[in-house]
Amino acid sequence: MAMLSDTHARPRDRLSCARLLHPVLAAVLVVACVASLEVGATDVTLSSVLGKLAQGKLPDGIERVVLFDIRLPRLVLGVLVGAALAVSGAAMQGLFRNPLADPGIVGVGAGAGLGAILAIVLGGVLPASLTALTGNHLVPFAAFLGGWGSTILLYRVATRHGRTSVATMLLAGIALGALAGALSGVLVYIADDRQLRDLTFWGLGSLAGASWAKVVAAGPMIVIAVGVAATLGRGLNGLALGEATAAHIGIDVQRMKALAILAVAAATGAAVAVSGGIGFIGIVVPHLLRLASGPDHRALLVNAALLGATLLVLADLLARVVIAPAELPIGIVTAVLGAPVFLWILLKRRGLVEL
Amino acid sequence: MTLIAEDIRVVHGRHEALSGVSLHAAAGEVTAIVGPNGSGKSTLLGAMTASLPYRGRVILNGSDIATAKAWELAAQRAVLPQTSRLAFPFSVIEVVRLGLQAGTAGDRPDVPIRALERVGLAHHADRRFQELSGGEAQRVMLARVLAQVWEPVEDGQPRWLLLDEPVSSLDIAHQLQVMDIARSFARTGGGVIAVMHDLNLTALYADRLAVLSKGQCLSFGRTADVLTDKILSRAYGCSLRVSTPPPAGDPYILPHAASP
Amino acid sequence: MKRPSTPRNGFSLFAQLWLAALLAVTTYAAQASSSPRIGSETADVLSLGGAVTEIVVALDQGHRLLGRDSTSSYPPSVRDLPDVGYVRALSPEGVLSVGPALILSEEGAGPPEAIEVIRAADVDFVTVPDGATVEGILRKIAVVGDALGVPQRAADLAREVEHDLRRATADADRPETEKKRVMFVISTEGGKINASGTGTAADALIRLSGGINAVTGYQGYKQITDEAVGLDAPDVILMMDRDGDHAIADDTLFSMPSIKLTPAAQSRAVIRMDGLLMLGFGPRTAEAIERLNAALYGDGA
Repeated sequence: MAMLSDTHARPRDRLSCARLLHPVLAAVLVVACVASLEVGATDVTLSSVLGKLAQGKLPDGIERVVLFDIRLPRLVLGVLVGAALAVSGAAMQGLFRNPLADPGIVGVGAGAGLGAILAIVLGGVLPASLTALTGNHLVPFAAFLGGWGSTILLYRVATRHGRTSVATMLLAGIALGALAGALSGVLVYIADDRQLRDLTFWGLGSLAGASWAKVVAAGPMIVIAVGVAATLGRGLNGLALGEATAAHIGIDVQRMKALAILAVAAATGAAVAVSGGIGFIGIVVPHLLRLASGPDHRALLVNAALLGATLLVLADLLARVVIAPAELPIGIVTAVLGAPVFLWILLKRRGLVEL
Repeated sequence: MTLIAEDIRVVHGRHEALSGVSLHAAAGEVTAIVGPNGSGKSTLLGAMTASLPYRGRVILNGSDIATAKAWELAAQRAVLPQTSRLAFPFSVIEVVRLGLQAGTAGDRPDVPIRALERVGLAHHADRRFQELSGGEAQRVMLARVLAQVWEPVEDGQPRWLLLDEPVSSLDIAHQLQVMDIARSFARTGGGVIAVMHDLNLTALYADRLAVLSKGQCLSFGRTADVLTDKILSRAYGCSLRVSTPPPAGDPYILPHAASP
Repeated sequence: MKRPSTPRNGFSLFAQLWLAALLAVTTYAAQASSSPRIGSETADVLSLGGAVTEIVVALDQGHRLLGRDSTSSYPPSVRDLPDVGYVRALSPEGVLSVGPALILSEEGAGPPEAIEVIRAADVDFVTVPDGATVEGILRKIAVVGDALGVPQRAADLAREVEHDLRRATADADRPETEKKRVMFVISTEGGKINASGTGTAADALIRLSGGINAVTGYQGYKQITDEAVGLDAPDVILMMDRDGDHAIADDTLFSMPSIKLTPAAQSRAVIRMDGLLMLGFGPRTAEAIERLNAALYGDGA
């Protein structure tokens, strides 16, 4: 082989190829968004409403409600949540130098789940003044606090003398996840029948509760967190060589780790809070992209945001129309679509997850 | 310009790994650090690259590294670790580019492939790093380090290569290749500090030598002055004899001649 | 000294998210104002909840139904209606797609955001209160009747249902010493017995039917430990009538270690009844009481 190689050949430039994917994936996302607005249980379509507007007519009441109060907030939330989950997954994998890492592993998911369960089960015993204040947002708010709080706790546990041990954080995350799981189990036991059903549906994840209020509540946090995470590409690339070497090539490792952890906690916490537990996006999307265009995080994080948003919008589209007028929990759709694809990738490319 | 370590102390738990070591390396020279296993060689290099907490001072080109930003240091010196594990399937050329982005030659896209040519691995540019043998991986890492400090002198300031056992997993031909690269970096104005295991290679390539033992510097000076029977025997705890072959005059050490 | 080159990134992502946000803001329009229609006889109705649907049909208003939820399975004619899914996980667009002007729902429809959107879409939403008592059933009938604009028919139905219920409960009642101990088992998944404690519809039905709920140690449906089953000593196991994987054969049931030693296992006493009939607490509850009572004590009792 070595004899055949030309030492003066230009080496492949996967980064440029991966950057070329940005506009391609953005275009696919736009198509997915249009499709998502076009199709639903009712026969309202985006094109017919646009046609009406073009003729100077106003859409009727049902069209306004379906398009602007149901499909559009749901679409925006899907884009935000999909981007948040995929970018969080990619950033966590880079941070832990482990292609199987996922926000779930470091306790963000478990903490958020525990917060939600606490709110569902104990929400009834809170003083009325407090429930009046939080209203329907008690569960998402508690989920966010739970995810954020558990991340901060883990970060504290794993940080000594200004250095964060990623390995300690991983182990502590597993322990905290087990503890949160056990506490959740206790709460499930004292929950009544109705709360149990809420818990089940919360766990499966759904965008059915999308509203402009949720978009406003979660949107800015997700946009900021995803934006911050997307700037960490160079640092995460360096971290692939280990923390010491990353520092040697000029990366402020401690600052980068802190930013990554906070961004992931914020993005995941907000996403889980508004949509429940939606699996597989955080693992499958970064893997697909590494396979397609290499592991360079500078392109990977942006592509992950775009592809994650696209996949979640499409999964939600399926969830809405397959058994209309009823709908599937989106967590089921992402798992059904994601798990076989993931297994197939692993079968084809066993080497991909070698450390 | 110089890279100076002053009175470096490092504590690992309750064990004092370095108890007051000083080193004075000059640009234009290869400075080697030798000593038996556990004598603190790599720990000293770790302190000089700010990879571990230390007491004392490290002055790089006139400024204290403790107050410098990571990117400022990266522009002045590159560090080759003893072993490298890489997460994710980066290709060989991508690994070398990581070094390029850290240095000041970021606007020169030809540097990574030329660095790979220097270590004789340009034909493997598109292979996955994880597929390489241990020796090839070590040479790719050297190429990455070279790409980071491609010009040995820039703006009148020397740049530094800090190498931790750079030839540990190489065959003899590549040991010589790597040490030649280090020496030519020094001869063109850069500074090189290398932790060495092989005393003969050290004798061949080092201009200056520090001998560590039990966390202390036994001797520091010109290689020929330091490589003596007495110092080496004390450092390694066995009787060693330094010999000099007639033609070149470089000293060498025969393990055959050792006695407990 | 030059600073190491930092690549630009994140820009197209931001552009993307901003576009989406911009689209959302610019196209957001005011919501339609709602006008009350409760009580109108021409309302098109979506019914959520098995008992609610039964009441609608019992009031002869079945022709006004446009759709149902997944628990509405009686009478069989309603099964042909579009199913909008589970009442606690509704899709707002799915609900609107059946085109209702009035939604009648049992308690707990959700998620809350979906209900808000549905209310905003010029749809009236009436919640029918739960209640596993005779009075509760009558209240459900009254609420549904008012919402459908047929209060007179509702009053007639309520009188009829109350009469049947009073008669059924009176017939079912017997001296405490003669009452059988009944354990309602909702699931035996994985060899673990999930049984009804107090405060459930099953508990209410057992008591109304002249039985004693054997399980009084906790509220709601919970997994019960094997040893507690023996202590509770049920004379009869009551289960929902199911097909498929959830059904469990008598032999399997009575060979479960926890049940093996109970009086119910000795006499192989298990009663299976339709879940909605038993637990719905709608117009058919009198029938459920009669049937359960007959199954417990025999027709002649």
